[in-house]
Amino acid sequence: MTIGFEKPQSTKKIKGEKPFQAALMGALVLLTLLFAGIIVSLVAYTDLDTLISTIVSPEIIYAIKLSLFTATVSTTFAMLAAIPAAYAISHFQFPGKSVVDTILDLPIVISPIALGAALLVFFNTPAGAAIESKLIRFVFEVPGIILAQFMVITALAVRLLKSTFDGIDPRYEQVGRTLGCTKLAAFYKVTLPLARNGLIAAAILTWARAIGEFGATVTLAGATKQKTETLPIAIFLNLATADIEKAVAVIFILIAIAVLALILLRRISSMRYPR
Amino acid sequence: MISINDLSVHVGDFSLTDIDLQINDQEYFVILGPTGAGKTVLIEALAGLHRCRGGMILIDDMDITSVPPEQRHIGYVPQDYALFPFTTVAGNITFGLRGRHTRQKTTKKKVNTLAHLLHLSHLLDRDVRTLSGGEKQRVALARALATSPRTLLLDEPLGSLDVRTAKYLRLELRRLHKELGVTTIHVTHNLIEAEEMADRMAILNMGTLEQVGTPEEVFFDPRTETVADLIGTPNILDCDSVKHIGHGLVEAACGGMSIILPLHDGGIKKIAVFPRDIYVSATKPPGPELNRFQGVVMNIQPFSSLTRLTVKVGNNQLLAELPKDIFEEMGIKTGQAVFLILKLRRLRIH
Repeated sequence: MTIGFEKPQSTKKIKGEKPFQAALMGALVLLTLLFAGIIVSLVAYTDLDTLISTIVSPEIIYAIKLSLFTATVSTTFAMLAAIPAAYAISHFQFPGKSVVDTILDLPIVISPIALGAALLVFFNTPAGAAIESKLIRFVFEVPGIILAQFMVITALAVRLLKSTFDGIDPRYEQVGRTLGCTKLAAFYKVTLPLARNGLIAAAILTWARAIGEFGATVTLAGATKQKTETLPIAIFLNLATADIEKAVAVIFILIAIAVLALILLRRISSMRYPR
Repeated sequence: MISINDLSVHVGDFSLTDIDLQINDQEYFVILGPTGAGKTVLIEALAGLHRCRGGMILIDDMDITSVPPEQRHIGYVPQDYALFPFTTVAGNITFGLRGRHTRQKTTKKKVNTLAHLLHLSHLLDRDVRTLSGGEKQRVALARALATSPRTLLLDEPLGSLDVRTAKYLRLELRRLHKELGVTTIHVTHNLIEAEEMADRMAILNMGTLEQVGTPEEVFFDPRTETVADLIGTPNILDCDSVKHIGHGLVEAACGGMSIILPLHDGGIKKIAVFPRDIYVSATKPPGPELNRFQGVVMNIQPFSSLTRLTVKVGNNQLLAELPKDIFEEMGIKTGQAVFLILKLRRLRIH
């Protein structure tokens, strides 16, 4: 008789594992096919020449430029407001913190049209009217697009940045303080470099969200051709006049921007700290 | 000199109360205590990272209780080292020198000196995340020392290292302390570490100070039962006479026991031996009779996963302990004669 250990049969599947795996993979394939199918149907609808000639038309070039400009400006403002707000809600304890947290989350769950309508109502109040007449015009103007995008994306930026700041061990800042940093210096010399990847990822996501913003924008800034015509509004206007080819071209541009943003995001999430 | 007077600190549900402590210049001071004793809270309060509810912290008679951490000139090495991952080893070391109007040449010189002192010269361009535990600890030390602090706080600096690295770094820390002369406060839960490193030590338990003294004073005269418990309830034997027997050894007569010890300067008044350092056998063990004694079991007491035996040897009652399963296997009963061997290297002499 030989005494020894039996070789473990690691390749053998555990009973009942296969159907479960098949169900999961099925759901995955179904969803991928759904999204891919939509893109394929768009490709089938148009040809390359029409697509290129539509993209270089003055109306679409205007929409691209306006979208890039407004989204960049609103993202800059949103990040400037969200960084301190997210840091405060992540690090400080104060009475009514959960109420503030809920209020900050509202723009994420509320319908963008409702948000735009609320802004429109605000500019009809005496305070809003004074801003409109004495400071800057928002209603049916380009600044209105920026404001609408800002309102929608800032809450998202706060949420994303809060989770970034939550993930940073306060010990780093404490060490920074013992090494001679004031609270402010520890924030920008220690916390911000640690949050770098999270900050860039939040900026990309909010920028992409701003590019695609429609509901609040159309309500506050309106949908005037080559005036307040961002890319989503261009789709809306061209569909309204049954110019499907133009609408499809704009959809392709939006898809390209989204894909670019996602590629950048993936790169950043796998990135280490730069030297 | 650091004076802590009636210090009270509250962090969440934890309170550190009425801490009175004096730490001398250039002293290597160890704070020993179990997990949750408040050791970290105490040194964090010294570093200015917690607001004090009451009392005062003075450094050279200057009240620093309300001084922000960046103005205390205290170096701090946290338990997990908290090295900045966004910069290199050199970047970590120079972090505290940036913005201090230190000339680049001076900064470079300081980095090189510290790197040489802590054997980090070959690692200066390395990403800190690729370092071993021991290397990380040395970088954290260099970073804290770069600002030339008056006091250095070390929070469990050897806690996460393997036994070999920890042993090596214990020696390194002592060498560094001797060379730089910085007043050092070292927090640990490790008794051997405390004993090896400390000029003086404080025993902290549940937010209060139990005893302050040299390791010898603590081991040979534990003031409270808590301290005795924390340090492992040592057997203290009073010795009357000492006789040189050659080969660097002496024979001490301690309450009817003749104990062989290494030659010790300044005579031998007391010997401390921990229950865990006494080997118990029901039968006569083979080998030399060095520090081997026969005694009678007076009492048997279960003690967590161990069994504690009180054995009468000569005029002494020695506490010995052994794992419960081994005790059960031996089948020792009260009144039975047993053999004890005192491990020569583990005897502490006073």
